[in-house]
Amino acid sequence: MSRLSSLFLSIALLFLSAWLGIVVYSYLQLGRLTSFAGSDGVLPPDFSGRAILGAQVYAANGCVTCHSQQIRQTSVTRSDIDRGWGKRPSVARDYLRDRTAFLGTMRIGPDLSNVGLRLSDPLWHYQHLYEPDRIVPGSTMPSVRYLFKLQKIQGQPSEEAIPLVGSYAPQQGYEVIPTEDAKNLVTYLLSLKHDYTLPEVSPDVTPTP
Amino acid sequence: MNSISRTQSTINLTEPAPLHSVTRAAIDGSLRFPMALWVRGSVFWLLVGSLLSLVAAFKLVVPSFLDGPSFLTYGRLFPVATDLLLYGWATQLGIGVSLWLMARLCGSPLRHTSLLTCAIILWNVAIFLGSLAILCGYSTSVEWLEYPNWASFLLFLSFLLIGVWVVLLFSVRQSCVLYVSQWYLLAAFCSFPWIYATANRLLTWGVIEGSAQGPIHWWYGGNLINLWFTPLALGLGYYIIPKITGGIIANYYLAILGFFSLLLFAAWSGSAALIGGPIPAWMMSAGVVATVLMMIPMVAVVLNFYKMLQGHYVAIVESPALRFTVVGIISYIIFTTLSFFNAIPSFNATLHFTDYTSGRTMLALLGFLSMILFGAIYYILPRLTGIEWPSSSLIRWHFWLATVGVSLMIFSMIFGGVIEGIALEDAAISFVNVLSYAAPWRWLVVFSWILLLFSYGAFARLLLTMRWEAASLQFKYKV
Repeated sequence: MSRLSSLFLSIALLFLSAWLGIVVYSYLQLGRLTSFAGSDGVLPPDFSGRAILGAQVYAANGCVTCHSQQIRQTSVTRSDIDRGWGKRPSVARDYLRDRTAFLGTMRIGPDLSNVGLRLSDPLWHYQHLYEPDRIVPGSTMPSVRYLFKLQKIQGQPSEEAIPLVGSYAPQQGYEVIPTEDAKNLVTYLLSLKHDYTLPEVSPDVTPTP
Repeated sequence: MNSISRTQSTINLTEPAPLHSVTRAAIDGSLRFPMALWVRGSVFWLLVGSLLSLVAAFKLVVPSFLDGPSFLTYGRLFPVATDLLLYGWATQLGIGVSLWLMARLCGSPLRHTSLLTCAIILWNVAIFLGSLAILCGYSTSVEWLEYPNWASFLLFLSFLLIGVWVVLLFSVRQSCVLYVSQWYLLAAFCSFPWIYATANRLLTWGVIEGSAQGPIHWWYGGNLINLWFTPLALGLGYYIIPKITGGIIANYYLAILGFFSLLLFAAWSGSAALIGGPIPAWMMSAGVVATVLMMIPMVAVVLNFYKMLQGHYVAIVESPALRFTVVGIISYIIFTTLSFFNAIPSFNATLHFTDYTSGRTMLALLGFLSMILFGAIYYILPRLTGIEWPSSSLIRWHFWLATVGVSLMIFSMIFGGVIEGIALEDAAISFVNVLSYAAPWRWLVVFSWILLLFSYGAFARLLLTMRWEAASLQFKYKV
């Protein structure tokens, strides 16, 4: 019996070391980071209510499966910044405003950390979500047409109708308008921008390794 | 007297303790029904998960395929498929097979199995409802923990219920020494509830600040493979190999080294997935060092296995259990080597975020653990039911299609991933061009999923032809 208890104890101690080192440390240190009160307001800036709902749409549809949200810049790589995906590497404090940090493991699509800076036109996003292949030829992104509704034009065409010309374009007399989910999602995407500076990181400066 | 008992204990340390045939029959009898549920449930999820993976892999190359309904969108389908393979198949069968193995090694039959049956049913219901919920848009979007809170809680509850039998087995065990397999299984059964509860508590049940989620998330991801899948598979390997070859553990101290170094390094290895990411630098370094050092437990274990297998090449060819196990061990060597390269920062800069990363995971899941689990089933079921496998041609199809399928898939993902990574590093190559470099390799992945689906189909067919109910009747008459 003493052998079982000593085996059990050694297993528990080995697990505990990493649990304390990684989980508890992160919880106590990174989890207690606060936003930074800079001269131009609180950083990172809070999401609007609509953007928070948009993040839920982002989660529900598993966008993180293909899109990362982290800009890497180390002594050996700066291609993220060269590609124009960001101006500076991401730091822990950037994720303070996220309920779930969509860091991602795959880049089947481009990184979205700063998509709101790179592509700031909401109409582009609506068209792209509806028919990605026409807006970006060669894209492997699936259409999320289910976030839009097709309706018959009654009287004047709706102001919200999305101009479409591809194979998914509605037939004569019909129009495609975004649902609330689509509007929330686009608001969220447009608010993804790390254009502010934090004390621990500034553009084009590698953070201490 | 003293010397006799010492000799006895030396023998027991290096090979599984022999059991009286009556005890063996009692253990097998007590586990026949739970085992039937585990095997059928997990193989069912293996088939569903592989089918959904095939559809997802096809959608990656033909994005317009089935893109109308929301529940079939890639971002929902892919996590469901992966989770089915992780929890419905590998984890579920891993639990079942290890419970049988623990009962054998502890020399005690299971009691009160009706409650155990409830726990197994609960697990499968949670998997089913959780998968439906993800498809309907209730995913938590935390990779590998996508099941909504109630489903992950049910899974955890079911695991705790099953854990009761592990505690019971160890408290009533007959032999006083612990064989190597028992160390590994005990470690695995301590680690899974620990990591699953911690990660769910902090990332889905009660969400902590986004800034702290990254390290905890990859601590879970690394540990699921290195502290749950790996010890399960190695524990099974340490049992099946000596049982079939009739050998003993070649070097007991190497086994000790392999075990403790695995636990020590594996627990720290997860953060290597966030090199260059928003985590403290020391955490990355710890992850890199730990992942590199994971070569030590791998070499220690493989050396031991190699010595046990040496000179038994006929057994490898003739015994399906041993053949699958050997392919699993080879996958383990390749997996650890790929992880090693992935942890070197300059390689990681190129390889991370590409198919290399997911190829490595698929190798651990479909090559390493799954192959050893297949081997375990080929070993256990004839002993449990008292009937031999009905068709050797189906076994051959299962083995060769699985081996070729996994090899082709891993080769395409690793090679395609390297090409993708090199293209991504060059900012002059547009992202859409990077996708066109990846496309041919992704077609090969689609093709290998088809091979795997046929392979698993052959296995399911084989299981269906094995008449368990008839076998248990025969068994009653025999006893």
